[in-house]
Formats: sequence, C-alpha cells, structure tokens
Amino acid sequence: MVVLALVAYPGFYHLLTNSPISAEAVALLPKMPTMIALLYFGLFAMSFDFISGYTGYLSFGHAAFYGTGAYFVILVANGKIPLLPPGTPFMVSLLLAGILAALLALGIGLVSFRLSGVYFAMITLGFSQVMYVFIRGWDYVASNPRDGPTVGSTHSEGFEIGVPYVDQLNLAIGSFSGEEVALFGHTLGTYTTSFYMVGFVVLVSYFALQRIVHSPFGRVMVAIRDNEERAEAVGYNTLVYKLGAFVISGFFGGIAGGLFAGYARSVTPENTFYFLTAGDALLASIIGGFGTLAGPLYGHLFDETIREFLSNAGLGGGLLPYLQQRLGEGVLGTEIFGGLTVEGLITAALNGHAALYVGIVFVLFVLYLPDGILGTLREWLGGPVSKRVPELLRGWR
Amino acid sequence: MSLLEVEDVETYYGESHILEGVSLEVEEGEVVALVGRNGVGKTTTLRSVLQLTPPREGSVRYRDEELVGMRTHEVADRGVGWIPEDRRIFSQLTVEENVRVAVPDGVDTDEAVAFAFETFPELDSHRGRDAGTLSGGQQQMLAIARGLVGENDLLLVDEPSEGLAPQIVADVATALAEASTETTLLLVEQNLPLALDLADRFYILDNGRVVDDGDADEVSADDERLRRYLSA
Amino acid sequence: MIPADPALGVDLALPAVRAVPDLALPTLKAVPVQSGTSFFDGLGQFLQPETLVSVFVEGLAKSAIYVMIAAGLSLIFGLMGVLNFAHGTLTMIGAYLAGIVMVVLVGGATGQWGRILAFFGALVVVFVLVGGFGSLVEVGLIRRLYDRPPIAQILLTFGVALVLEEAARIVVLFYGLQPTSEWQEALGTKPAVLATRHSLGPLSIRGLALFEILLGVLTVVGIWAFLTRTRYGLFIRAGSEDAEMAQALGIDVRRVFTVVFALGAGIAGVAGAVLMWDQIWGANVPLAAETLLPAFVVVIIGGLGTFRGTVVGALIVGMVDAVTTWWFINVVTWTWLPDVAVFLILVGMLILRPQGLYGVEEVGGH
Repeated sequence: MVVLALVAYPGFYHLLTNSPISAEAVALLPKMPTMIALLYFGLFAMSFDFISGYTGYLSFGHAAFYGTGAYFVILVANGKIPLLPPGTPFMVSLLLAGILAALLALGIGLVSFRLSGVYFAMITLGFSQVMYVFIRGWDYVASNPRDGPTVGSTHSEGFEIGVPYVDQLNLAIGSFSGEEVALFGHTLGTYTTSFYMVGFVVLVSYFALQRIVHSPFGRVMVAIRDNEERAEAVGYNTLVYKLGAFVISGFFGGIAGGLFAGYARSVTPENTFYFLTAGDALLASIIGGFGTLAGPLYGHLFDETIREFLSNAGLGGGLLPYLQQRLGEGVLGTEIFGGLTVEGLITAALNGHAALYVGIVFVLFVLYLPDGILGTLREWLGGPVSKRVPELLRGWR
Repeated sequence: MSLLEVEDVETYYGESHILEGVSLEVEEGEVVALVGRNGVGKTTTLRSVLQLTPPREGSVRYRDEELVGMRTHEVADRGVGWIPEDRRIFSQLTVEENVRVAVPDGVDTDEAVAFAFETFPELDSHRGRDAGTLSGGQQQMLAIARGLVGENDLLLVDEPSEGLAPQIVADVATALAEASTETTLLLVEQNLPLALDLADRFYILDNGRVVDDGDADEVSADDERLRRYLSA
Repeated sequence: MIPADPALGVDLALPAVRAVPDLALPTLKAVPVQSGTSFFDGLGQFLQPETLVSVFVEGLAKSAIYVMIAAGLSLIFGLMGVLNFAHGTLTMIGAYLAGIVMVVLVGGATGQWGRILAFFGALVVVFVLVGGFGSLVEVGLIRRLYDRPPIAQILLTFGVALVLEEAARIVVLFYGLQPTSEWQEALGTKPAVLATRHSLGPLSIRGLALFEILLGVLTVVGIWAFLTRTRYGLFIRAGSEDAEMAQALGIDVRRVFTVVFALGAGIAGVAGAVLMWDQIWGANVPLAAETLLPAFVVVIIGGLGTFRGTVVGALIVGMVDAVTTWWFINVVTWTWLPDVAVFLILVGMLILRPQGLYGVEEVGGH
C-alpha cells in the first residue's frame, strides 16, 4: 500500500497542481525535492526504529552511521579513498558505505551494549558527537571541513542507481545532475527520476528490514524489548542479537546517508553527524509509530510536510503564498495589535518555526499516543494495516 | 473494631495473580504471625496493606478507614510502619540520619533519636557512621528502631530473622518482643519457633489465600496443620 | 533540523555552527606560543609555573561552570530517574532572562558595584522563575509518565527541549536579536573588573574566571549544605537511594520530586545567567545544546545521582578541557582535541566503570 501511494505520488502531484485546486495543492502537498528527502531520511528513520523501537535500546548516536555513509560516498567520488577510484559505480560505493557503517556499529555496539537503557543512549550519543567534532576539524575530508565535502570535478556526472557498469540499466539522480527520462510520451524531470530511483533503493531496504523483523530473529528482538532478563533466562544470547540488530540498523543507516550524499552531492557535519539528526529520526519514529517499520516514514512525512508548509517564503513555503493568493494583501496587512499585522504574525511565529509545532505534537504523542499514528492505528484495527483493511473490506461485502 | 481488617484482597504483579482473596484481622496490642512457604504471597500481603502494591479487589481498613486508593505515604502517616525484608536501611545516610528521617513531622526529632539510641545502645556507638557499614544484625536493629520512632501503632515486619546468625536472631526477638509492648505487630516469618514464640495468633497463607488460623500458644512448631502447609 | 537539501536552500532551523568547539575555549594566552611548535618545546612551555597556574585557574573556572550546569541534572536523575534533556534549554532561558534583567537595570553610568549587585538580583529572579517553570513542567507533564518505562520520560524531556528552544528562538527574533550570536548588549552590562584581565605578578587572569569560581564554590557549598543539613535534603537523599522505603516512612516522594526538579531547573537557570556574561558562551539559543552535552559527560563520569560525583566529575572535565585547549591553541592544531579528550574519558569511564566514580548501581525510582 505504501508502495503504491509513493509510486503514484509524482503523477498525483502533477495532476493536482495543475488543477482548479492548484493553489491549495501547491500549499499543502510537499514538493518533489522534499519527497526525495523523505525517502532517504525515511530509510534512516526506519533503521533507527529497527534498533530502538524493536529492541528498546535508544540509539541516540545513530547519526554516526548516517554521516559515515554520506561522507564515504562523497570521499570516494572525490578520489580520497585509497583503492577506490572516483569512477566507482555509485551502487558499489553505496554498498561499501553501508558495510563501513555496519562495522562501525559493531565496534560501538561491543562497547555500549554492556550497559542498558539510559547509559546506552548516552554513550552512543557520545560516540556520534565525538565523530561530529572530529569530522568538523579534519581537513582531509574537505577544503573547509566546517562546511563539509562536496562532490567535485572528479565526478561531475550524477550518481547512478541501477546495475553497475551496465549503462542502459542505470539512471542518474540529483537535482541538477540527474537524468531526464522519456516514458510513455511524458518526460520525467530530474526530480521525478531521482525520486523513483532513490525510492527503489529505499523500497528494497524496507523489504529487507521487514523480512528480518518478521523472522525468528525479529521475534527475539521484541522479546529483548519486552523483558530482556526473561529472554536471557530462556537461553538466548541477547548480546549477539542486540549486536546483530545494531549492525543491521547501522548498515541501513549508512545506506540512507549514502543516498543523501548521492542525491545532494554535498553534505555538512551538521546535517549528518550532529546529534539532532538522530533527534529528527526520533521525532519521526514517535509520531509515526515506534516499533513499526513504516511508521517512521509516515512520521517523517508529517514532520516534513509541516516544515515545508511553514518554511520561509522562497524556500518553498506554502502557507504564506497561499494566503497571499486567497486572502490578498488587504487581509494580510490588517493590524492585530501594536503594529503587528497578520502577515507579521505569520512571519514571526509560524514561518520557519515548524520545529515548535512539530515538537508540541511530539510531546502530545509521547503523553497520549505513545504508539504513534501507525501503532495506534494498528492496535485499533487489530493488526498491520495492509492485512486488516482488506479483511475488513471483505467483511463488508 | 479491629485495628486492621483485610477483606478478600486480590493483588497482582503485572498479570500474575498473587493474592486470590486474603482476609485477616489484627486487634490492637496483638502480635499476629503470617506464615507460609516461600512465594505464597506473605510479602505481597504486607505491600497490599501499605498500598505499595495496591489491591485490585477487596478492602483494607485501618481504624475503620479504607486504605485502598491512598498513597503509601498517607498510609504511613496514619501510623502504619514497615520493616521490610532486606531491612532496606539507607546505606548512604548515617545511622543517626536513618533514624531522623523516620521521625514524623511535628515530633521532636532529638527526643525521638535519643529514645532510639537508649533502646538500642549498640547502635549508639555507630551513630555517625554510614549505615551501609553495619552488620546484618545491626541493620535489622536499625530498621526496628526506625519503625519505633515513627509513631506507628501497627508495624508490618517482614522476615526479620532472615540471613542472621542464631545469636543475633535472639537479640532481634528480644527487640521485637519489647516493641510489641508498645505497638501492634503483623509479623511475616519463616522461622516458626520464633514466630510462634512472639505471636498471639497466626494465619497460614498458601497459594495466595489464608487457609488456616489459630492461637499461637495452642500449637507447637510441628503441629500437623503447620507441617502440611509449610514443608518445602 | 532536516538534512538541508541544497535545492531548498539553507534550512534556518538548523542550529548554527559555533566558531569555537562545543566545550568553551578559555582566553588563555599567558605565554604566547606559535602554533606548530614542536611537542617538546610546547611541553617545556606548558610546564612553566605561569602557564600551569593560569591553566589551573581556567580549569577551575570551567569546572565551576560545569558544576553549575550539571548539578541540577544529577539531582534530578538521582532522585527521579529522569534524564532531563531539557536541562540545556533551561540554562539557555536563564541566560536570556538574566540578560533582560541586566539590560533593564544597568545603564551606561552604573558603577561596578551597582552592576554586581544587579547581577545577584538577576540570579535570584532567574532562580525563582526558571525553578517555578520547572515545577510546572514536572507537575503538568513529567508526572503523567511515572508509570511508564524510563524511556518515555527521556522522550518527553527531549520534546520539551525542542519546543522550548524553538519558542525561545521565536521570541528572540521577535525582539530583533539574532538567536545564534551572543547577546552583545547583555555582555556589555558586565562591570569593568570582570570584563578585564588582572595581573597578579607574572600572571594574567580573567576577572570573570575568578567570579565564576566564586559562584561555583557558592553553588557547591549551598547545595551540599541543603542536602546534608536540612530535613528536606535528608528526604532527597533517602528518596534517591530508595524511593519506596522513603514513601513507607511517610515522605511524600511525589512532592519531593517536584521540589527537586524545580531546584535542578533553578540551578540550571542560574548557570545560564553566569554564562550570559561570559564571552565564550554568551546568551544565545545554541547555548542549550552546548551546555547539555558537557553536563551529560560530567554527570556520567562522576556518577549519576551523587552530588559528590558531580563535583569531582566537573573538576576532571574542567581541568582536562583547560589543559587540552591550551595545547590546541599553542601547540597542535587539532580543533577537536578538547572535545575528543573529554569524550574519550567518558567512553573510558563507561567501559571501565559504567556507574561513574561515585555512582551506585541502581538509581532513582518512583
């Protein structure tokens, strides 16, 4: 179901924005670049949920994997990794990025899993912060490490997703470097191409994670969350399972970071290693649903939509232009009190400050809906949505 | 009206149904023993009175006031004291501070502390030391001292002799006997001779229920009823 | 805070990068040394008495700051088992509040003692306001999660931090200030004696450093006295060790929770007030994150829930920070040295002795 919705989205968006309700559509619906970000960050949030939601160990340092993946991809493209030429196919460097992140997870996990709960969260946070500070000052990675590396002339063409080395089966991603594809008489723009290709990788990853979650391994993970002592008493070597889960989550976190780097072609320490990156994944997971894989995706969708809706004009913000169109300058210019206009109020309190409202929603969810949107929905329906809805529909016939 | 009336109490730990309908009574001035095997719910009964593990069903009345639904500190304020298993003295506080913290608001703390150390002179010599450095027996004395200064008319005592050498147990017994002259005791104890010695009456608990009761001076430790329910 | 998509432009909600590493740089230059000096030359320079003393003083000043930031966090966790992610935002709010008080009270002509007096007034105001706010948060929000696993409380305080930080940003912008740069006007309310360096023989020491040490000592003594000499302090210590037993002794542990949370919040706010005057930190929104992380480190190294541990932890972190910063400025050019050194201690501590130097195995409870 998720898949269908996502596949249909670009067409959906295109239709609605050119229709009579185009103004509303432009205001409310996330733009394509946002949707692409949704995909790769959604994968990151999913990997976060995989470890934190299913085993109960909050990985506050998850940004470390995202950053590792992102930086690795760019460094390979810039020729800075020995043994890997800049021309290495993206799929290969992506895979290696994931593996590198997985190894990192192994190392961090070996140290951190001796502790539980709060301490685990804090030590992983410590690790990712150390990496953040370190990478900000390491001039090997970029000419100005504070600003982060950018893919340079060694790899001026877009990163390609597809079968490595087979030209026809590859499509490049990126807002400027991406390819345009002609399909059924329509031209799919660079954003759309990127959307589908990135989406493809994310989809494969999602299915992989799903399989694991529904396997015996996944069940042990949940057992650990519910009562680790009992799981140990029954005979499971919980350390092995925790490490395994952590390594897997690190792998996919790295893939997510690599996708981000491949699309955006430049990263900064702030949008990769800084601990708030994991914080955003946490936001997405809680709102969407901890311990459900697709939940973080929806949670992030919610987060992103609100942010874009409330972002400052010129950055794609939907609210203000929409109101300008519909209500006109007159209404916007009305003074409320003390020289403050409606427009002024929106600019001061709403635009660019989405974090406040998302934060409030987050707090409300923690208090009242701890299972998130998807989690609560699942409980309400009595099972995973994709299973229950068809059942219910059949029941009505 | 009994000092304490427990009626059909059902208590759970999570989903485990520990107490399946416990009823007992304690009159003012008595010493009542609650005996039974390990795990039958003796400690849980005490916790249910204190509302530390509130009962899901049933009632607990102290001086005719319903305790179920109250917060634990409110129960304690009314004069119900707890001397738990493992003593649970505050190891990071000094011996004297352990006593002080147990004195209720409004009572002269210095007087209470002086009384405690008179009653337990052995603790006096350690009064400035961290309570964690005391021996098991001394900690038990401290726990009892705490119960006494708390202006409690009912003391819930849980396995006071556990883990203590016989000579120390004798001292503890003496201390409890002294305590019983001032206040009412509900005593959980696996050491049968000790329990029967101190108690006026006893209840036998098995599988979360009271299965028998009687007068302590009418039975000896190898009474048939006791043997049936208490043999491991 | 989303990964900024270049096509969308820079996301303004990103906390801006500070020009200095997260752990503050002292303005140490007792003896100027060229960067790129060889290790042994640097060592020689370092071991000279003037350098050692000024590094020591700066280390103490940092320790004082860290104690103030971390004390509240430790008390709260020790008693309630709640890891207060919002602690940094409380410090940030304290900094701004103090700034407001000072900017209002202090004019260009106010004398030095007048300014210092006003500052202490600001401290009181901040303590009461931030502490009061803390008690509201505890009663209104945190209390509802007592029955849930500890993760829920961490998440809640994280969310509160998020909301508060963004709200602060809105207010600050509304009044025309830049949220990410230090509040210059507030900095300007410092009296001259604290804004300058003083010479004591061959040494040159920041006046503010001495002031911070003084306040740090006062804070430590004050908290220590409260915990050990008052009845309420006794309740707090007992409750921190065994909340259930404390309840059974008649202590209303829930109310103690509220008081401790308010107290911890108040101390955090006061720490912020001090930082308002310190150029290296200053009153700005990123102060929240910048103080939260070191606070975590201090508290873990010292041991969650023990006040003694917090003090020792702060001393260690402060000294290591000062020493490594001297080395970073004067000898090696690794900007990440101070932060990495401190985090390495953190990791080492968590590996060797997870409960910290003075910590107990089980902490907190309801």
